[in-house]
Amino acid sequence: MVSKRITFREFLFILPILAIISVFSIWPILDSVKYTVFDYRLNDQQKSKMFLGDRFNTSAFNENTKYINFYLKKDMTLVEDTTQKQEFERIMAYVGEMISNYPEQSENIKLSASESSAMKEFIVTVKNDVTHLYEQNKGAGLKNAEGIQMVIDELNKCLIGSNFIGPTYYGQIFTDLRFWIALKNTIIFTIFSVSIEFAAGLGLAMIMSKAMKGIGAIRTISLIPWAIPTAVSALMWSYMYDGGSGIIAKIAADIGLVASPENLLLTSTGAMICAIIADIWKTTPYMALLLLGGLQTIDAGLYESSQIDGAGKIRTFLSITLPLLKPSILVALLFRTLDAFRVHDLIAVLTGGGPGGSTETLSIYAYKVMFGQTNFGYGSVIVMIMFVCVAAIATLFVKVLGADLMSKN
Amino acid sequence: MEKTQVGNSTLWKVTFAAFITLFMLVIIFPFFWILVTSFKPTSAIFGDGAYSIYSGSLVLDHFKTVIFEKGIPHSVVNSFVVATSTMLYVVGIAILAAYAISRFNFIGKNILLGIILAISMFPQMIVVGPIYNLFTQLGLTNSYFVALPYSTITLPSAVWIMVTHFNKIPMALEESAKIDGATPFQTLSKVIFPLAAPGVFTTAIITFISAWNEYLLTITLNTNKEYHTVPVAVSFLRDQFSILWGQVSAATIVVTIPTLIMVLLFQKQIVSGLISGAVKE
Repeated sequence: MVSKRITFREFLFILPILAIISVFSIWPILDSVKYTVFDYRLNDQQKSKMFLGDRFNTSAFNENTKYINFYLKKDMTLVEDTTQKQEFERIMAYVGEMISNYPEQSENIKLSASESSAMKEFIVTVKNDVTHLYEQNKGAGLKNAEGIQMVIDELNKCLIGSNFIGPTYYGQIFTDLRFWIALKNTIIFTIFSVSIEFAAGLGLAMIMSKAMKGIGAIRTISLIPWAIPTAVSALMWSYMYDGGSGIIAKIAADIGLVASPENLLLTSTGAMICAIIADIWKTTPYMALLLLGGLQTIDAGLYESSQIDGAGKIRTFLSITLPLLKPSILVALLFRTLDAFRVHDLIAVLTGGGPGGSTETLSIYAYKVMFGQTNFGYGSVIVMIMFVCVAAIATLFVKVLGADLMSKN
Repeated sequence: MEKTQVGNSTLWKVTFAAFITLFMLVIIFPFFWILVTSFKPTSAIFGDGAYSIYSGSLVLDHFKTVIFEKGIPHSVVNSFVVATSTMLYVVGIAILAAYAISRFNFIGKNILLGIILAISMFPQMIVVGPIYNLFTQLGLTNSYFVALPYSTITLPSAVWIMVTHFNKIPMALEESAKIDGATPFQTLSKVIFPLAAPGVFTTAIITFISAWNEYLLTITLNTNKEYHTVPVAVSFLRDQFSILWGQVSAATIVVTIPTLIMVLLFQKQIVSGLISGAVKE
């Protein structure tokens, strides 16, 4: 069949999925990309939104300029000289004109480039003129010489510069040691957990494929670690690892793996191993079930003929089981690798990234930067790097190893 | 010769059985230990009593505390509401999309598939920031609307499982329906849907479990305790000055029961859902 333009009726079938993934998957990704080029911080009023151009705080401007005129008016009464009085009035009129140009508004307004430079010029002019005026009338005992300078300086704060910073954060991340440590931790976690899960899962799948009795019970029990929330299983393990009452910590100390039970989660290697073990416990049965599904599609006749040909168990495994299982293995490995690389819940609940950042993965680091320090810009850069890594892993599996994800469609 | 073969295979069988038993024990042990702890008096959870199975007395204090004081049943209700609503809309959307992918040939189908696949792969963290801001602006934080962004984690696998099931249904059925003058929607609802019901059921269960287990979006969007789901509520039990392992254990037991029931009832469907997509037939 040849692809054709979609009819309206057919389009209605995919409209809902397009709508929901546009709003909750695609738009957020694009928005995240935007975050990365801004100094975007929710806890800082001047940076709590993303602004390409300059903005202007009209209410602060009105307050400060009205103070300038108020001071000028008061001090003018102390001056006798008519020319000086006229100068006072000229400046007051100049300021007053600007006030009427920018009436008070509840939200910050955008300024065009020319408006912005006109405003900067206005502030400089007022400052120079006022300084000059007060120099001239030093003898008159003007009371607000200091106060007026302060409010003029405040005017500069009414102009809020853009928080667009371009690729600054992308440059910064390469010199961020904490990022490199998090990347290293993520890679260590991924490699160890996935390879052990795969080896154990494959072994278990082979055994399970031979088991005739009780396969239902075995499958049910295998599903439980996968089916319970990761946060809950992480909490179970954190109890067993606990220095004061944890049975695994106690056993580890008794057989001399750690000096005292408390050390299990308090040393960097110990904490990482604990996290990997908890992940292996949760995911190996799942891996075994996936591979078992693949094993069951292999024609039993092939095994019979290989037995007739006198092939040993290892030979059969290498030349029949492995090649035929390869598609299932690759798909299972790909998704497990991605899951491990994105690990969040387990680490967040078990160690929170500790001790001293030794189990902090990219996902945990990004979350802390975004929601702990409320620095959405830098946090999004970390997530972007994760995104690139995930894309690289997927490409490696699909292009180099030949994982086939879409053949059936 | 004959004899060694038999001996050999018995040895294999015993080894297999031993491995399987060991594996089952490793899986079950944490649950067993949590169960033991949940009935221990607090005094027996710390110190030497912590490492014995039976400390001399069984108490229900921890269960009473988590059920009546810590609001764990409320979090179960929240999880149930959020997971059920996610399941309903995700399955509906997935059925329509998967039917189109399985049956129609249109330009851009591979792009759609590619996007769905990419969404199942990208780090979930990438959507959390923008969705947090969106929800804050719209005033949707601390509500059951958290079910909507759950689509990011549940929809791709739901579509995938449904496509696998639709592909198994022969095209001939629809062709005859078409000849009889049925519209595509009638064909889907009257002819295909009844045949695809097992697939729909599988998709629904897998979606429900994924939504039930979600942690990251809920802890970020629903900071109010009233809207905490099971994973978040349980993780907050620990977030205190002293960790009350008795309560943590009791809560874990309580919240594991719904999952356990689901697994016991729907074991076959779950396994079929997990391996469709991962296994080529």
